[in-house]
Amino acid sequence: MQKACDLSGCNHCGSPETCSLNRLGIGCRGCVVAVGGDSELRRRLLEMGFCNGASVEVVRRAPLGDPIEFRLRGYLLSLRDEQAKFVQIAMA
Amino acid sequence: MHSCCDQSDTPQSPTGTLTVALAGNPNSGKTTIFNALTGLRQKVANYPGVTVEKKTGRCKLNATSTDGGRWIDIVDLPGTYSLISRSPDEHVAMEVLRGLRPDTPAPDVVVVVIDASNLQRNLYLVSQLIELGRPLVVALNMMDVAERRGIHVSVDALIRELGVPVIPVVGHKRHGINELKDAIAKAKVAPLPDFPLPEAMKEELMIVGGGLAILDSGLGVRDSGSGSNPPNPESRIPSPEKLGKTTTPRAWICLDDGTRRLDRYQALAERLLIGDTAGDLAEIAKREPVVSLLSSASTRMSRLGIDPMQADIEAHYRWIEGVSSRTTKSLDELAAMGVRPPRSEVIDYESPKKRSVSDRIDAVLIHKVWGLAIFALIMATLFVTIFWLAAPIMDGINTAIGSAGAWVGSHLPDGPIKDLVTDGIFKGVGAVIVFVPQIALLFFFLAILEDSGYLARAAFLMDRLLAKVGLHGKSFIPLLSSFACAIPGIMATRTIENRKDRLATILVAPFMSCSARLPVYTLLIGTFFAAYGAITQAGIMLACYALGIIAAAGMAWIFKRSLMKGGPSSFILELPTYKLPQASQVARHVWSNTLAFLTKAGTIIFCLSVILWAMTYYPRLPQATQRHIKAPFQAQLQLLQPKVTNGVLPPDHFIFDEAERKKVIDETKSLEQEAVASEQLRYSIAGRMGHVLEPVIKPLGYDWKMGIGLVGAFAAREVFVSTMAITYGAGSEDQTQPLSQAMQNDRYANGKPVWSPLVAVSLLVWFVLAMQCMSTLAIVRRETGGWKWPMFMLAYMNVLAYVVALGVFQIGRIWFA
Repeated sequence: MQKACDLSGCNHCGSPETCSLNRLGIGCRGCVVAVGGDSELRRRLLEMGFCNGASVEVVRRAPLGDPIEFRLRGYLLSLRDEQAKFVQIAMA
Repeated sequence: MHSCCDQSDTPQSPTGTLTVALAGNPNSGKTTIFNALTGLRQKVANYPGVTVEKKTGRCKLNATSTDGGRWIDIVDLPGTYSLISRSPDEHVAMEVLRGLRPDTPAPDVVVVVIDASNLQRNLYLVSQLIELGRPLVVALNMMDVAERRGIHVSVDALIRELGVPVIPVVGHKRHGINELKDAIAKAKVAPLPDFPLPEAMKEELMIVGGGLAILDSGLGVRDSGSGSNPPNPESRIPSPEKLGKTTTPRAWICLDDGTRRLDRYQALAERLLIGDTAGDLAEIAKREPVVSLLSSASTRMSRLGIDPMQADIEAHYRWIEGVSSRTTKSLDELAAMGVRPPRSEVIDYESPKKRSVSDRIDAVLIHKVWGLAIFALIMATLFVTIFWLAAPIMDGINTAIGSAGAWVGSHLPDGPIKDLVTDGIFKGVGAVIVFVPQIALLFFFLAILEDSGYLARAAFLMDRLLAKVGLHGKSFIPLLSSFACAIPGIMATRTIENRKDRLATILVAPFMSCSARLPVYTLLIGTFFAAYGAITQAGIMLACYALGIIAAAGMAWIFKRSLMKGGPSSFILELPTYKLPQASQVARHVWSNTLAFLTKAGTIIFCLSVILWAMTYYPRLPQATQRHIKAPFQAQLQLLQPKVTNGVLPPDHFIFDEAERKKVIDETKSLEQEAVASEQLRYSIAGRMGHVLEPVIKPLGYDWKMGIGLVGAFAAREVFVSTMAITYGAGSEDQTQPLSQAMQNDRYANGKPVWSPLVAVSLLVWFVLAMQCMSTLAIVRRETGGWKWPMFMLAYMNVLAYVVALGVFQIGRIWFA
């Protein structure tokens, strides 16, 4: 089975196929496969572009560990850990 | 192929003004375009009933266009990512666009500003606006940023894809503004794209749409026939005819275009199914037959694994991905086609090896070490500026207004009118204007931080810290500013989009020890802890600041778990591309916020300070009492009059030196004045309130004189010091030495000292925690749009202050007994 991602610093992913976005290592990329959470959060995440297998890259974590910065559809946005965990990612 | 949609597309009426709504994502550069369009013809107000700012402006269409010389009214909508609203800002934008707000005319044309460097997410709003069915113009902003990233957006291709005018603009250089005005005059409704919804959902739309058509006549008849409801067009369930006029005109008309059957009932069904029911559909969605129709459709779809909301958004994005791939080319692709890249310095945005300028700045500004160090430096600069740099300006303003008042007063006869003008009106004006330096400086910083893109980074850096107590990364600057003054601090909460986060920040901001508390801390600590050494004094001062921070954190934690509960506050924060702030935009930002403060909060602060003045002024001491107080001083002055006989002072006169004699006379006169002022204050409403308050504040260790001080402190906390000085008849505001002594020497009738270190600590606790600043209440009223939250703030802070001060005093009394 393929490793979740071959970049260093990304050995957190539980499953080789999918993992939640907050467990993706810095510098890693994946595709969105599912978005959970309550309907309000889900709608906002979808509307910001976390849908249709969009490619997401983890850019960095804030110096205090949270939130996390992502690159998505050519722009940067940040989510807290507690929100990123609702986005399921498959390795590209 | 969309010819059915083209009738009555362009704005018709040739006379009168055209209403244009300016929509766009946050950070799309919308405000710059608005400013370029309207220049100085702008108005800022509030949407009635909500706390959202309403910015409107006017401009004239170009004389060369067919509608030459016609005026257009432009409404600058709050920045929104979506028309399906969550925040009050987005809700207002949606209502204006749908023509649901009675205070704002339905827009004839919608201009949507989009960021070319962030095309996909910006096109999401465009896709919703297309569904809305109003004549649309796209202003394509930030082409230069896109090209620096190696993305070229083809304007022609975008026009073909969207079917509406697309105008490239550069707001601060005014490029494209004239073309934009021409396009507004020629705006037309965009053809409805074929959003690729799942087949099963299209079928459900037909089923639900059919059901709604059957229900419609029944719904309409029952509604219009009921005599109990007054014929209020806004609250009435919209019949499709009404919807057809006010909401999505085109979507109702467009029928079968070969790919997607969409009649008005299906469009209605779609909005109901995806939960886009705020505003005009809120009522209809709650109707029993509609609810059961929708729930059965939802059940059928969920069996197929379809969530209508998600399917709708994904269909939009799938369409967007197509549009984006057909309209953008990487510059490499252009080069391969033989087209020269427009810029030499081209960075491939998608390649992780080569980073854009913005990425390289971020590598430093959000760095674990450097990022925090630079953040600390920027925040320190901001704080020093509003805390110390503003102080001499504020002093200057106070002096200038004081002398202006004195000058005007010198032309008035002595009496209540003169006192009203000098002490009431001029001091009231001063109480308002004194905040201007801090507000202007803070908004100067905020404008630079926000326009440059750093504000979002600051929130990103600090969010962890504030999230622990339920606040937001963007709460940091408002709270920091509140250490200087809560007024600009609370105004700065406007950068927080989430209403609950913002309200929680506003409610705890006054706990930060502001500069007005400092003179009170200094007086009390300096008077009652001088004997304990400098370290203890500094420690107590620090403890006051710490107590405020702890109270703020604790109350924020409580608020976010009680009053402001309901879903985790989502922290979805865009980190926009760094940009160089434009001087004109910064100046405009500072000006409009300062002006808003002066007009909206200033009037309340002025009125309250005049009322407070009157409370310390009336009722006047009776003449007899005044004479009685003055009598001993007059007697002394009599003695000081030299009994000159034959030009020679009598040898038994106790003062021989003329200069010495004058000095003593002056001192006696000022003592006389102080005695009268002290008695006058005690006699006034405020003075009597001190006595009324005494039983209430007695358990905290305060006497009625401190009660007067607390009443006076409502004007501004530092007024406590001068009020106490007047009450004790102890010298002017500048010198606290006589006041310190008077306080230490003050005794109750039984000989016990009124003050003690414990009383001082209890009073310090009160000053840290209590809400006793009318200006703060005035600004909270302005920022929350009513008296509900300022009154709540007044109540909860003072109850908290009372309980804690009571605990400190009573436990301390037992402890030290």
